[in-house]
Amino acid sequence: MGEDEVVLRVENIHKKYKDQEVLKGVTFEVRRGETKVIAGPSGAGKSTLLRCINLLTKPDKGRVWLEGVELTNPKTNINKMRQKIGFVFQEFNLFHHLTALENVMIGLTKVKKLPKDVARKKAEEALLTVHITEDLWNKYPAQLSGGQKQRVAIARALAMDPVIILYDEPTSALDPQLVGEVLRVMEELARKGVTGLVVTHEIGFALEVADEILFMYGGKILERGPPREVVFNPKHEVTKKFFENIKRLYGGR
Amino acid sequence: MGFWEEFIPLVLHGAVNTLWVLVISIPASVALAIALGSARVYGNAALKAVATAFVVTFRGFPLVVTLFLLFFGLADLGIYLTPYQTATLAFVLCGGSYMSEYVRGAIRSIDIGQSLAARALGMTKFQELIYIILPQAIRRALPGISNEIIYQIKYSSLAFVVGYEEIFAVSKTFISRYFMPLQVFMVDAALYLAMTTAAAYGLRALEYKLRIPGLEMSIR
Amino acid sequence: MDPVWWEYIPYILQGAIWTFTLVGGGLALGFAIGVPVAMGQKYGPTWLKAVLDVYVWFFRGTPLVVLLFLFYWGIFPVLLGIKLDALTTSVIVLGLRSGAYQSQIFRGALNSVDEGQMLAARALGMSKWQAITNIILPQALRIAIPGWTNEYAIILKDSAICFTLGVVEILTRTRYVVISTGEALGPFLFAGVLYIIFTYGGTKVFNIIYEKYHIPGLVGKGM
Ligand SMILES: Nc1ncnc2c1ncn2[C@@H]1O[C@H](COP(=O)(O)OP(=O)(O)O)[C@@H](O)[C@H]1O
Ligand SMILES: [Mg+2]
Repeated sequence: MGEDEVVLRVENIHKKYKDQEVLKGVTFEVRRGETKVIAGPSGAGKSTLLRCINLLTKPDKGRVWLEGVELTNPKTNINKMRQKIGFVFQEFNLFHHLTALENVMIGLTKVKKLPKDVARKKAEEALLTVHITEDLWNKYPAQLSGGQKQRVAIARALAMDPVIILYDEPTSALDPQLVGEVLRVMEELARKGVTGLVVTHEIGFALEVADEILFMYGGKILERGPPREVVFNPKHEVTKKFFENIKRLYGGR
Repeated sequence: MGFWEEFIPLVLHGAVNTLWVLVISIPASVALAIALGSARVYGNAALKAVATAFVVTFRGFPLVVTLFLLFFGLADLGIYLTPYQTATLAFVLCGGSYMSEYVRGAIRSIDIGQSLAARALGMTKFQELIYIILPQAIRRALPGISNEIIYQIKYSSLAFVVGYEEIFAVSKTFISRYFMPLQVFMVDAALYLAMTTAAAYGLRALEYKLRIPGLEMSIR
Repeated sequence: MDPVWWEYIPYILQGAIWTFTLVGGGLALGFAIGVPVAMGQKYGPTWLKAVLDVYVWFFRGTPLVVLLFLFYWGIFPVLLGIKLDALTTSVIVLGLRSGAYQSQIFRGALNSVDEGQMLAARALGMSKWQAITNIILPQALRIAIPGWTNEYAIILKDSAICFTLGVVEILTRTRYVVISTGEALGPFLFAGVLYIIFTYGGTKVFNIIYEKYHIPGLVGKGM
């Protein structure tokens, strides 16, 4: 298990909805410990790509491997493999009827079948890692702020000891003043070596911790490279336009 | 012995019989409703079709017809149910079908994100249903289910058509001895009102107890 | 040899006339009661609201069969000294009970017509009564159509309970057939299917009415 080991390999993914081609052959790899950022305009197919990775959406063509196991092989037990892929949604999707702690525990007790006390300890650790303090553990999602909800959602993914965490615009649904707390947690995780694939428009985050930016446009990776390259010195006009707009919209962040 | 001395113990005996059906039929109806509602959303095509046909039938038949069918109709096939079994089964089939509509509606109203998050954690479809969807859906369906429970309490009076000795059955027989229909049926009404009112309060309290803090969930 | 049950199908079908008399009468009377009760509950003085609440509570909380016997044997002949036949009694009881349910449907519909409608009507110089009849009711009645469709399905199936007073509707006739042929499964299944057909047919009619009168984009809140 070397540092450079490829943990996720995505090969030539295609996806069509009706006759709209949403993904037109996407290929890339993520190595252990890496953080990769996917950026691109709305409708580029970023969410679809992430969902094709853990097969929440079935790709029409192409293959996905996680630690050498082909997820797209129909013989693979996808539920088992999904346990190893954390997923953080734009809209949090915390389970409404469970407290913060229970949200983090449920995957451990029901999917991983860990004993309650072990699960509880793991969940508490994960919550502390994302700076959700004990006073919030018994709150229900509706009683938490957006930033707190998203951090609980990250803890829910993290507690499963995933090989990689996929984030789909994790800060886009947040009020601007709450974005920072979530980005900080994500940066800390990236620095600790938690492998991540992050769809985001937060350039600051990308410049800070990403190993590479994949710029998606029209269902393809149009351009990729080190963050500074892609953001400040892109090859394509669309890429340049996109990051200029982002910079204007998001200010100095 | 006078009218009241005779009637009150008799009608209370009927009330006990009424309750004896309901304590079984109400929980069983709810269980059936959850199964039917889940099957109609989560089941495969065959299961969906069967569950739908079941619901259409037992929502469509008047309860008295179901009672007659189970008691006399099944007897034609050599299946003999006691009045108690007939009443209980009829209430479960009918009540379960009506309640299942609320369960189905509630399941479908749960936002897709809940399902995606469950699957992303590696849950199977069945685990998702049991641990994530149903706990939320049942809470949402509860006001509707409560209504149907109250209906069932009232409709339990129809068990007399198959000869079950519940409140109304004993009253109906009793007026042939003492012709005091006003008093007899007002006592019946009072008993049912007491049961329905108590159930309404109890179920409201249950809804309150099960509510999720901060979340407005009921779809009345 | 006993006659076979299906020879009696026309006889059972004739019961539909009585069934629909019960349903139509009950729904119409229930409507005539339900609308004013709902308005009284929403706009009336406190004492009236209390009286109407008791009415609704009584008729919603008591089983239909108890109501039928109470009125047929008790209230009409003993208390009021009038002898009414089974059909009339049944229509009145179904109507009184449906009125209690329909008032709840209309109350919900009235509540879902937005407050601003009343304010705007009053701002135009309408009296409260004018605002209710010209602005609020026309909207509320449309919003109530789905609830009314539901009430039709309920009262149709409940009309079968009137067999207990001997109204010769579908179920009473079905039971005669069962008694005279000694067969139960066929006749009762036939009756059950008949009710399903009438439920769906009637619901279709109400849906057509709804499509015709509903105001595009206007739906009742929480209905
Ligand atoms: N379930 C779906 N059914 C039909 N079209 C979809 C579905 N999901 C996404 N799309 C379409 O696919 C395109 C890409 O969507 P998405 O992957 O969400 O893009 P992004 O996340 O980059 O904004 C959009 O045009 C969207 O309308
Ligand atoms: Mg997206």
